[in-house]
Amino acid sequence: MNTFSVRAFIPPLSRRCIPLRATRQYAVQASGAPTLEIFSHQQKWMQKERAATDTEASRRVDYLRDEAASRLCERLMDINRHFPHVLDLGANACNIARMLTLPSEDSPSAGPRSKSVSKITSADSSETLLYRDSDLPFNMEVDIHREVLSTSENLPYEANTFDAVLSSLSLHWINDLPSVLTQVNNILKPDCPFIGVMMGGDSLFELRTSLQLAELDRRGGVSTHTSPLADVRDVGGLLQRAGFNLLTVDVDDIVVDFPDTFSMMKDLQTMGESNAVVAREKAAIQRDVLLAAEGIYRELHGNEDGTLPATFRLIYMIGWKPSPSQAKPLERGSGLFSIKDFLENKKKSDDEGKK
Amino acid sequence: MPGRTRPIDKFAAAAAKCSKEGSQYGKCIMADYNNVYKDKCLTEFLKLKECYLAAYKRQ
Repeated sequence: MNTFSVRAFIPPLSRRCIPLRATRQYAVQASGAPTLEIFSHQQKWMQKERAATDTEASRRVDYLRDEAASRLCERLMDINRHFPHVLDLGANACNIARMLTLPSEDSPSAGPRSKSVSKITSADSSETLLYRDSDLPFNMEVDIHREVLSTSENLPYEANTFDAVLSSLSLHWINDLPSVLTQVNNILKPDCPFIGVMMGGDSLFELRTSLQLAELDRRGGVSTHTSPLADVRDVGGLLQRAGFNLLTVDVDDIVVDFPDTFSMMKDLQTMGESNAVVAREKAAIQRDVLLAAEGIYRELHGNEDGTLPATFRLIYMIGWKPSPSQAKPLERGSGLFSIKDFLENKKKSDDEGKK
Repeated sequence: MPGRTRPIDKFAAAAAKCSKEGSQYGKCIMADYNNVYKDKCLTEFLKLKECYLAAYKRQ
């Protein structure tokens, strides 16, 4: 009997369990707190590997990652500093490295953004996706090192290694976000930034609600088809808990119009962003539900020109590793004059000025 | 794989031919989407499915 085996897709045990370079490090968060496994790493790895096997299709759906990476690079360029060694954590297809070789959108004549970055290490757990673009010309323009991680939740680097850590659209598949952020804090040099962007909040709420309504009507219940995502207000707390200073968190919505729900789901699958929640329904989604969801999506969220909008909410976060040389708030009670008196006097003089 | 139509493409093409029925079904759900229960819009859905199955066979 000729049966289909999934063994070929399962990564070798040795690579999954034993890191290539075993380094001991002190980056443990909240001992005793149980780590829930929400996302299946095996499943995510498999989806990414499969998606990247079809190089052409995979490159076609890079639009979202390229845009997010480009906006992330702009934020890096805002820091007036030279970065000798940068880590791109969860690099996908090295989108950040490619965006670094392009000139900035604000000043196209200033040359590539990469002139403030000497060396970039791109790390991801999916080998095929990571090396997908390794023969493209941009690899010659920036000093890029690719590294396959055995697991995306354990960073095999020494403390105080990097001058900046970037992460674009991969943190939303991490189970233990506090631990990963603490490790990031650990591998950064003092007074160096972590700049990340993750999917969050109300991303794909249109798809989520349509599928829920369709399942309620067709099957009388709801199952998980989209991931739970972190919210904007969670991110500040997470960064603070991981020991970062001078936090900046902001939100950007990207709305992509698709012709129908099927092409939207196909694109998500080709990106390797299909559902990988552990508690998901293991069988494929029923056709009845898909058919119903298409009708509901069109009525509930559809644009007037017949396209269907999909919202991607990107949460950008910047945090700095603490260092004694950083600017700090003054000690409580060390003020020389009362801000209350100052503001009241200012108001009084403003009022008089008006008269 | 080139040269092979994926089932989802056939599905999408057939579903696209039933936009009228789809919109009627969507309107039925939308009429009161805070109170959806099983088979709330069964008649509309069966019409949609019939149309879809016919379109799928014609391909």
